[in-house]
Amino acid sequence: MAAVKTQAPERAQGGGIAGALKGSLQQLLAFASLIVIAAFFSFASPYFFSYGNFTAILFSTVVIGTLAIGTTFVIIAGGIDLSIGTGMALCAVMSGVFLVKLGLPLWLGVPAAVLFGGLIGLVNGINVALLKIPPFIATLAMMLVAEGLALVLSDSTPIYFTEAPGYTEISTGNLIPGVNFPNAVLVLLVVALIAGVLLRKSVLGRYTYSIGSNEEATALSGIDVRRWKIAIYAFAGLFIGLAGVLISARLGSAQPATGMGYELQAIAAVVIGGTSLSGGKGSIVGTLIGALIISVLNNGLQIMSIPQEWQNVILGCVILVAVYTDRIRKKEL
Amino acid sequence: MTGVTTMTEPLLEVEGVDKSFPGVRALHDMRLELRAGEVLALVGENGAGKSTLMKLLSGIHTADTGMFRLGGESFEATSPRHAQELGISIIHQEFNLVPHLTVAQNVFIGREPRRGRLLLDERRLNADTTRLLERLGLPLDPRAVVGELTVANQQMVEIAKALSYEPRVLIMDEPTAALNDAEVATLHELIRRFVLPHTGVIYISHRMEEIKRIADRVTVIRDGEYIDTLDVASATTAEIIALMVGRAIDTGARPQGVRADRDVVLGIDGLNTKALLKNVTFDLREGEILGFAGLMGAGRTEVGRALVGADRIDSGTITLHGKPVRIGNPADAARHGIGYLSEDRKRFGLLLDQDVRANIALGALRDQFTRGGFVRDRDARATAQSYVGTLRIKTPSLEQTAKHLSGGNQQKVVIAKWLAKNCDVLVFDEPTRGIDVGAKEEIYQLLNELAAQGKSIIMISSELPEILRMSHRVVVMSEGRVTRVLDADEANQETIMHYATLRPDENPDDAAELGIRTGS
Amino acid sequence: MKKLRKIVAALAGGALALTLAACGSDGGSGGGGDGPFIAIVSKGFQHQFWQAVKQGAEEEAAARGARVTFVGPATEQEVEEQMNMLTNELAKSPQAVGFAALDSRAAAPLLQQAQSQNIPVIAFDSGVESEVPVTTVATDNKAAAAEAAKHLSEQLGGKGKVALVVHDQTSRSGIDRRDGFLEWMKENAPGITVLQPQYGGGDQLESANITKSIISANPDLKGIYASNEGSAIGVIKGVQESGRQGVTVVGFDSGKAQIDAIKSGVMAGAVTQDPIDMGRKLVDSAIKAIDGEQLPKTIDTNFYWYDKSNVDDPKIKATLYE
Repeated sequence: MAAVKTQAPERAQGGGIAGALKGSLQQLLAFASLIVIAAFFSFASPYFFSYGNFTAILFSTVVIGTLAIGTTFVIIAGGIDLSIGTGMALCAVMSGVFLVKLGLPLWLGVPAAVLFGGLIGLVNGINVALLKIPPFIATLAMMLVAEGLALVLSDSTPIYFTEAPGYTEISTGNLIPGVNFPNAVLVLLVVALIAGVLLRKSVLGRYTYSIGSNEEATALSGIDVRRWKIAIYAFAGLFIGLAGVLISARLGSAQPATGMGYELQAIAAVVIGGTSLSGGKGSIVGTLIGALIISVLNNGLQIMSIPQEWQNVILGCVILVAVYTDRIRKKEL
Repeated sequence: MTGVTTMTEPLLEVEGVDKSFPGVRALHDMRLELRAGEVLALVGENGAGKSTLMKLLSGIHTADTGMFRLGGESFEATSPRHAQELGISIIHQEFNLVPHLTVAQNVFIGREPRRGRLLLDERRLNADTTRLLERLGLPLDPRAVVGELTVANQQMVEIAKALSYEPRVLIMDEPTAALNDAEVATLHELIRRFVLPHTGVIYISHRMEEIKRIADRVTVIRDGEYIDTLDVASATTAEIIALMVGRAIDTGARPQGVRADRDVVLGIDGLNTKALLKNVTFDLREGEILGFAGLMGAGRTEVGRALVGADRIDSGTITLHGKPVRIGNPADAARHGIGYLSEDRKRFGLLLDQDVRANIALGALRDQFTRGGFVRDRDARATAQSYVGTLRIKTPSLEQTAKHLSGGNQQKVVIAKWLAKNCDVLVFDEPTRGIDVGAKEEIYQLLNELAAQGKSIIMISSELPEILRMSHRVVVMSEGRVTRVLDADEANQETIMHYATLRPDENPDDAAELGIRTGS
Repeated sequence: MKKLRKIVAALAGGALALTLAACGSDGGSGGGGDGPFIAIVSKGFQHQFWQAVKQGAEEEAAARGARVTFVGPATEQEVEEQMNMLTNELAKSPQAVGFAALDSRAAAPLLQQAQSQNIPVIAFDSGVESEVPVTTVATDNKAAAAEAAKHLSEQLGGKGKVALVVHDQTSRSGIDRRDGFLEWMKENAPGITVLQPQYGGGDQLESANITKSIISANPDLKGIYASNEGSAIGVIKGVQESGRQGVTVVGFDSGKAQIDAIKSGVMAGAVTQDPIDMGRKLVDSAIKAIDGEQLPKTIDTNFYWYDKSNVDDPKIKATLYE
């Protein structure tokens, strides 16, 4: 097979420096399109370019961004996670159960809620890696289970955090004194940094790429792929938990029915950010930029008072154009 | 072989063809002349430009400059379909068959006989195919589902499909890559009887013995340029290879023979798998290259896969350095220092989209290149760099993506991965499949060096010359059993084929009598 | 090939820019002029009901020389999305905001922000549990549900077993439409047995399934009340699929399927809110608030009972949407 396929034109491609350039160029272009979109809105509307609006955009990116970061790991590993949206709702409800119904202190209840997300991921990982259920189906089932459990555990009513003073500060407070910069955005930036370093530098990250790139070759290289897959899903699950805490702290309540549909937005952010749905490629920076592109568009189009019907049309077109130009870029560089 | 008049008439001519891709010149001043009624072998190393030339002829690419003539008239194929209409059919190495359709449906795909405008005439389809197969003397059932046929029969379907267009020129790209010797003979027979009188054949192959048997002339190309055309009858293999690689190659070396003085590293006793293997027993000694020979489906690959835990073992014991070990999955095997190099490197060996460094460091990542869960890239780099040096891996840099390396260098990357993990038993399945002649020599040299350093090597191969050339001992298999273990001095083409075609006794064989145990 | 790809990419990019420009030019839909700018954040958007509110608001704005924008999340569960929308609208510094809260408490910080920006907030559709809104423009759901109960009781002659398929058990409208019905029945129809309310999330299919199981569990069922459009369509489907005759269905809101069912007699009738009236009164109140007028705490919008006899009455017809 190799005899014919490895021919001259391929040999000449992508040397060391060119390869490195290509990688950063990819992110640079995504970033550039973000800047272009933002610049467009700044000219189109007098209300867009302001500190208040920028923090509003960042704030609205937090939940999707957090979910998208976790999902980036799963998608790079060649999987998919549809349970992140309703899983997030379940974690928000669990946060309510821990803090309000059980009255746990914040330092215990909040990590518990985040870990509960890890538990959801762990179950997903076991279903995918050990029971060999295709990720789409395994996480689709989990999506339904989480949706149902969130309603059951909350009696289908929102749980308000009025009895957990300080909880909403996690999202809406300002840790930086004197500046109006929501904590939730800080949290997003910090976890993005951690996730980015882990993805690039840790064994977990390296195996995430390896498994997504070629699962069979990775297994035959003596790596226990099943165990690492479970680890990847469980790790990504922590972000489900964190997103659950962040959204419920923002809203001051755990909304059991919120969450369906978030998974698709998060996946869209990951894809716009240049991560390949077939696995093996992607970055956290890209995902963050992807999430920002979505929220900048949502914000800008609304601020321009563009009719809501058209907002979705434009958003869909942008996703197509983003992914398509990414393809062209990869082919021609 | 046919009449002299047709022999001299050029059927297909290529003259002064140039083709560049962004950043690389694939063909320069390429020439080729195929005469009517002949088999012209086309040889060249990987990257020499064979594929590019085929793609120009079949209309997948168009040439920058140059001239193509068919039967004296110039032409330029604009699409594979157009090429087919002109009378040029190509059988690609990777089959273009739809596995879920039947033989007849595959042969006539895209031009199915119809009843009216919408309905398919399945009866006529099968009748036409039956006639075609009968004419070609192919014992195939038109209604058989292609995916259920053997590889050899699938190849026959490809040929039937190509010939159904009644082409003037038939181009076959590595048609025997997946065939055993008997099947190759059938194929050659088919070419001589049904193809040759009417058409010319361009036969691309790496296998010199086959070229000697089937081709009239051989055209050698190298680095995108035409080198020479020789009459096969008068040219020697060494001569052809020398033209291909641009230097002389020693093809005659034979190993020293059994190394009875060395310790047994790996002992396999009574291995059974549900699928195929029956009571497989052998040992592997330090510094030994143990060849595994047999026909397709004899169980050679299965032994390798069972040994590294990729397939499930039902019974049998594996001892390593005298101690029994349990190998349930590839991770266990790797922990015990057994590395597996699959015949399908792209699928089972490499992370194609990752760079050379990541591929080499993959297996040993956790043992050697991490601290506190973080990867120490500098160490991984240094190790990768040293293997690139010692294994003579040709790559512009460690950041080169694995898919852009040639087959031989890809294989070396996989070897480096296992060496980095300190494996002392290496199981090679078809170590030189898809690797061109020059690089093959390098892989052989590397295997010898590894053995000399004390690594123990199991070499599964379907190429007898390779088995004979490399092995200290040869394990011959047939129908899932070991039928004989031959020492280097008793192993030759005839003895191996004898035991490979032996119908294994239903009773468990006496290991000592077969020479399986060579002393302890 | 490569050229083609570039052209396609360029075209796609160009089309996008054009779309943006085209939309930008007619941005600020629903009325022109330099009058006051009122931003409306609704609970939904795609649903016919909200489109009718939007229509009423735009008509009123056009008549009064005001400018309105109207946005809402795709489903009524997307609380966070609604918060983002409200944030974005406030960034445009409107003179007044119309707001139908999905979750009052979640919106509290943003309502505080509106107050500090001196932007009057008019709640609509359902109340907002906050001191900030100057008034609430809404249908009295309890009274409307009682109206439906009254008509169902009349149809059944004051006796028999009836069931409720309610769209939601958490939202104010769901609770009020359930309780208004239950309370009226308890006080005024001693002969009617009311089964435990069932919840279908306003989803047609879900409500149809619930209806079928109620029917098979209760052979003597005489009537069903559905609390919104989605529930009503589901109930009609469920009754039809079960093949049971003699079950009287009353519904809520309108929509083509429900109107057709009433015209054909499959459904006895329904209570309709007047979403267009709601949109009008919302904009009217907003303009009054901008002008500094004092407003009552609640402003009731109309509701009507409609059935086969009056469905084509122009007064009723104006409140119905298809």
